[in-house]
Amino acid sequence: MQSKMKESDPILEVENLSASTDNLPILKGVSLTVYPGEIHAIMGRNGCGKSTLSKIIAGHPSYNITKGDIKFLGENINSLEPEERAQSGIFLGFQYPIEIPGVSNLEFLRVSTNARRKFLNKEELDTFDFEELVKKKLEIVKMDHAFLSRSVNQGFSGGEKKRNEILQMALLEPKIAILDETDSGLDIDALRIVASGIKKISNTQTGIILITHYQRLLDEIEPNFVHVMADGKIIKTGGSDLALELEKKGYEWTDNFVKET
Amino acid sequence: MVKENLVKDVVKEPYKYGFVTDIETEKIEKGLNEDIIKLISQKKEEPKFLLDFRLKAFKKWQKMKEPDWASLGYKKIDYQDIIYYSAPKQKEKISSLDEVDPKLLETFDKLGIPLTEQKKLSNVAVDAVFDSVSIATTFREELAEHGVIFCSISEAVKNHADLIEKYLGTVVPASDNYFAALNSAVFSDGSFVYIPKGVNCPMDLSSYFRINSGDSGQFERTLIIAEESSSVSYLEGCTAPMFDTNTLHAAVVELIALDDASIKYSTVQNWYAGDEEGIGGIFNFVTKRGKCLGKRSKISWSQVETGSAITWKYPSCLLLGEESVGEFYSVALTNNLQQADTGTKMIHIGPKTKSTIVSKGISAGNSKNSYRGLVKMGTKAKGSRNYSQCDSMLIGDQASANTFPYIKSQQPNSEIEHEASTCRISEDQLFYLQSRGIEFEESVSMMVSGFCRDVFNQLPMEFAAEADKLLALKLEGSVG
Amino acid sequence: MEIIEKIKKNKLVKNQTEIQKICLDKLQTSPLPNPKSELWRLSNKSKFSNFLDYSFNEKDGRFDTPYPKNSQNTIRLIIGENCDIQLIGKNYSIEQLSEYELHKYIKEQISCFDQNENWSDLLNLSLSCKKNILGLKINGSKIPPIEIFSHASSDSLNAKTLVIFLEKNCDIELLQVNLGKDNSSLSQSTFFFLEENSSLNHGVVSYGKKESNLLNSLNVIQQKNSEYNLGSLHFKFNYARFEINIKQSEGNAKTNIKGMQITKKDEQISTYTKINFYGPNGFLDQINKSLADDKSHAIFEGSIIVPKIAQKTDASQLSRNLLLSDLAQIDTKPQLEIIADDVQCKHGATISQLNEEELFYMRTRGITLAEANKLQLSSYFQEIISFIPISKDRWDLLDKLLNEN
Repeated sequence: MQSKMKESDPILEVENLSASTDNLPILKGVSLTVYPGEIHAIMGRNGCGKSTLSKIIAGHPSYNITKGDIKFLGENINSLEPEERAQSGIFLGFQYPIEIPGVSNLEFLRVSTNARRKFLNKEELDTFDFEELVKKKLEIVKMDHAFLSRSVNQGFSGGEKKRNEILQMALLEPKIAILDETDSGLDIDALRIVASGIKKISNTQTGIILITHYQRLLDEIEPNFVHVMADGKIIKTGGSDLALELEKKGYEWTDNFVKET
Repeated sequence: MVKENLVKDVVKEPYKYGFVTDIETEKIEKGLNEDIIKLISQKKEEPKFLLDFRLKAFKKWQKMKEPDWASLGYKKIDYQDIIYYSAPKQKEKISSLDEVDPKLLETFDKLGIPLTEQKKLSNVAVDAVFDSVSIATTFREELAEHGVIFCSISEAVKNHADLIEKYLGTVVPASDNYFAALNSAVFSDGSFVYIPKGVNCPMDLSSYFRINSGDSGQFERTLIIAEESSSVSYLEGCTAPMFDTNTLHAAVVELIALDDASIKYSTVQNWYAGDEEGIGGIFNFVTKRGKCLGKRSKISWSQVETGSAITWKYPSCLLLGEESVGEFYSVALTNNLQQADTGTKMIHIGPKTKSTIVSKGISAGNSKNSYRGLVKMGTKAKGSRNYSQCDSMLIGDQASANTFPYIKSQQPNSEIEHEASTCRISEDQLFYLQSRGIEFEESVSMMVSGFCRDVFNQLPMEFAAEADKLLALKLEGSVG
Repeated sequence: MEIIEKIKKNKLVKNQTEIQKICLDKLQTSPLPNPKSELWRLSNKSKFSNFLDYSFNEKDGRFDTPYPKNSQNTIRLIIGENCDIQLIGKNYSIEQLSEYELHKYIKEQISCFDQNENWSDLLNLSLSCKKNILGLKINGSKIPPIEIFSHASSDSLNAKTLVIFLEKNCDIELLQVNLGKDNSSLSQSTFFFLEENSSLNHGVVSYGKKESNLLNSLNVIQQKNSEYNLGSLHFKFNYARFEINIKQSEGNAKTNIKGMQITKKDEQISTYTKINFYGPNGFLDQINKSLADDKSHAIFEGSIIVPKIAQKTDASQLSRNLLLSDLAQIDTKPQLEIIADDVQCKHGATISQLNEEELFYMRTRGITLAEANKLQLSSYFQEIISFIPISKDRWDLLDKLLNEN
C-alpha cells in the first residue's frame, strides 16, 4: 500500500479541515494527502460531507473554513479564488454539471483552456488552433463535434454532461482532479468511456480523487487508497479491498466505526 | 352550443344558506357619527383605550376617500344608511349554551355548525358570530387546559385587555385603508385567539360568521397571537341570507407570529353573491394581514372565495423575522355578475425570508376575476425568495380574467419568480374524460377541482372536501 | 418647467401647423400627465421635470454618425436633415407622404389619444415642426435596409417624428437610432401602419451621453397577416421612457418583441408596452430584459389586452431582470386582461442577480470572475441584440455594451 512516489512532494495536503455553511458545521477535521500518481477514492453515505470536501478544495464561496488548511504543491490555498485554484491545476468534476444557457460550449472551453495555458506560460490559442486541439481531445471521450456549438451542458443527457466534464479535464490537464460522483447516472458503456478517459488523462505526475457511492467505477479504475467518510470525518482508510468489503457489508458496517470514534 | 348551456346551468345551483332567522334583535339607529361609536362602545362596556382607538380611527376615516379600483364597479355605498350594531335579544348574562335562544342554535344547526354539547363537532372548536355579536364558543374548558384563549373579541376586551391593548391595530393600523379605518371605528365582534409559548393548539379553531339582518353591516375583527414555538390552525366560514339589497362586510384580521410560531388561516367564503341579474349580495371588503415578527415564524393563508357580489381582499404577510415564511393559496370562483379582486402582498423585510403564492381564478358567466399582487424585496431581504403562480380558467366568452402582479426588488441577492397562464376546459380533455364513461358534469367538476388541486391540498381535511363540493355546486351547468 | 408654462399660455411655437394647434389645445387644459396614473407613478419626478427644463429648439446641432461603416446597400435618413426623398428602385418605391396624407393620418391617431397614455405623443406633435417630421410610404420588396437617425442637440429639447406606411405585401428592415447629446432632451414619436401581408423587422437603438433624456413613443397598427418584429435597446440615459403601443386591428397578425434596457449610475429607464388584440388568431411573443446596476432604477410595465372578439389569441410575455447592486432597484408589472375564453396567454417575471452556481462552475475552469460575468452578460444581451437588424461587422453592439462605459 506504500506509494512508490513517496520520495516526491505531495500534490494536495488537507490538514485537519473543518468547514461550515450558514453556521452549520459540515466538515469536522478531515486530513488527506495525495502524492503524484496516486488514486484516492472517498466513499460514504449521502450527506457525509464528501461532496462538500470537493467543493471546498475547489473554493466554493458558500463554505467557510473554520479550522485547518488546504495545501496545493506545498502552498496554502485557503484564501485563493476558485479560478486561481483552477488555473494552477485543481480540477473539480461536478456531480451535477451546471447548465449555462446562451453561453456556447466551444467559447467556454476556449476561454477556460486559455486561462490555464496563460498560467503555465503557454501561448494562448486562437479559435482556429483551439478547434484543432479540441478535436483531438473529443476522441478521448468519444464526443461528437456538434456538442461544441451547443450551450454549455444545456439539453445534454446525463452521460453527455459527464463526458463534457472529462473533456474539460483533458483540456485543462490538471495536477489533481477531484471527480465528484462522475459515475452516477451513467450506463455501463458511458461508464467505460468516462473511466478510460480518466485513465488516459492521468499519469505518474497527477493525482486523482474519486468521490463515489459504488464499487462499479472502482472496478474500472483501481484506487491506491480508499477512505470512508461519515459525519464530516474520514473514519477509515484502507486499500482497494476496503471498497470491496464495503460493497459486501453495506454502510451499516461503517456505523460501528462512527460509534467507536 | 348545447354544451355551453349545460355548463352555464352547472353554475346555477341555488344558494342553500339564503334563509332568514326570525328573531327579535336589538338594533341601533342607522347612520355613523361619534355618538353612534360611543354608543357601540358603551353597549360593549369597553375600556377607555378602545373608545379612543375607535374615535381616532373614525376621524381618520372621515378624511379618507373610498378606493377607486379600475377593475371594480359598484353603486356608491351610503354609509349613513347602514346600521352599525345589531344583536339578537338575549338574557343579560349567559352562563351556558342552554341559555342561548334555541332559534339561534337551530340556525347554526341548519348551516351545518351544531353548537350544542351533544352535537358539536368533535375535533373543532367553534366561535359562532351572529350579526354583531358572538353567541357561543365551544370547547372552551378543554382549550383553557392548554392555556389557549379562544373567545369573542368583546370578551377578550374585558378579560385580556392587556393583550388587546398591546396588539390591536399593530398589524393593520386604523389608517391603513378606507375599510380598515371604518372597521376600526365600528367593529362589533369577532374572534380572539392566544396560543401561549410552546403550545401546539390541540384542535382546529373555527369562527363562523352569519349575517342575518338585511340593513346592518358586518364589521368583525379577528386577532390571533401565536407566542414563541406555538402553532395553530384556524378556519373561518361565512354565509348570509338572500336580500335584494347589498350588505357591507368590512372585516379586519390581524395575525402575529413570534419566533418559531406558525399560524395557518383558512377561509371558505360563501356570502350571498346576489342573483343572476346581480341584484343583492354582500360587498366583501376585507383587510387581512399577518406579521411574521419572529425568526423562523410562518403564516399561511388559504382561501376559497366563492360568494359575495364583490370581493376586495388581499391576505398579506409582512416577513420581518429572519427566515420567516409567508404563504398564500387561493381559489376564487366568480359567476353571473360577481366581481372578485383578490390577491396578496408579500413584503420581504428580513433576511432569508421565503414566500409562495398560488392563485387559481375561475371566471364564469359575466363575472370579473382579478388577481392583484405585490411582491417586494426590501434592501435588507438578503437571500430571500418568492415564487408565484397565478392561473386563470375562463368559462364562457363573457367572463373576464385579469392578472396584475407587481414585483419590486431592491435586493440583488434575492430571487423573485412569477408565472401566470390562462386556460379553459378544452374539448379534447372533456372528450377524453367522457370517452372513459364519465358524465359531462362530473368531467367539468373534475377538471375544475384538478385545476384547484394545489390549493385544496393546503386546506384542512374537512374544509377541502367542503370546498370541492362547494365549487362543484357553484359550477353546475356552466362549462362549454 | 418653462415649456409647460409656455404651453399654458400657448406661446410655445410660432406659425403653428394645424396638428400643433390640435395637440397644444389638448395639452392646454391639463399640460402634465397624472403622476398617480400607473404609467407615470414610478417616473422619477425630478428627472421628468429636468427633461422639460431644457428650452425647446427646432434646429439641430452638429451630428456624428455613431458607427462609421457606411454601406452602399443601405438607405440612410436623418430626421430634420434630408426628409425630401423619393427613391424608386426596380422592385420598390420609397416616397414622401403628401402633406394631406400625413395630416389625415396623424389627426386620426390624435382623435383616439388618451391624455396619460399618449402624453408623450401629444408633446411631440405639439413641438415637431414640418422639417422634423419624416413621413414615408413604402412599397415593394427587396428593399435595401433603411437606417433612420434622430438626434438631440446639447442644452436643448428637440422633437422628431417619424410616420411610415408599409403598403400591402411590402417587406422591409429598418433600424432606428436615437442619439442623446450632453445635457439634452429628445422627444421621438414614431407611427407605423402595416397594411395586409406586410412585414417589418424593426430595430431601435437609443443611447445617450452625459445627462441625456429621452421620451420615445412607438405606435404600431397591424392589419391582418402582417408581421412586426421589434428588437430594441435603451441605455446611457439619465432618464428615458420607451412607450410601445401596438394594435392588431383585425387580429390574425404576428408580433415579436425583444427589448432591453440597461441602467447604471443613478439613471432611470422604463419601458411601457400595451398590446391590443382587436381580432382573432393574434400572436405575440414578447421578452423584456432589464439590467440595473449602481444606484439606478429600471421599470417594466406591460399589458396584454384580449377582448371577447380576440378568440384563439396566443400571447406570451416574459420579463427577465438582473439586479446587480444593493442600491439599484427594479419594478416590473406584467399584466393580462382577458375576456375571450379560447386563448393561450401566459406571462412570467423574474428578478435575480447573475446565477452564482454558473459563476462558480466557470471559475473552477479557471475563468476569472470578471470574465465569467462577461460571458454571462453577453449571453444575456445576445438574445436581444441578435434580434436587432444590423450586422455585427457594421456595428458591434455587444462589444459596445460590454466594453464601453
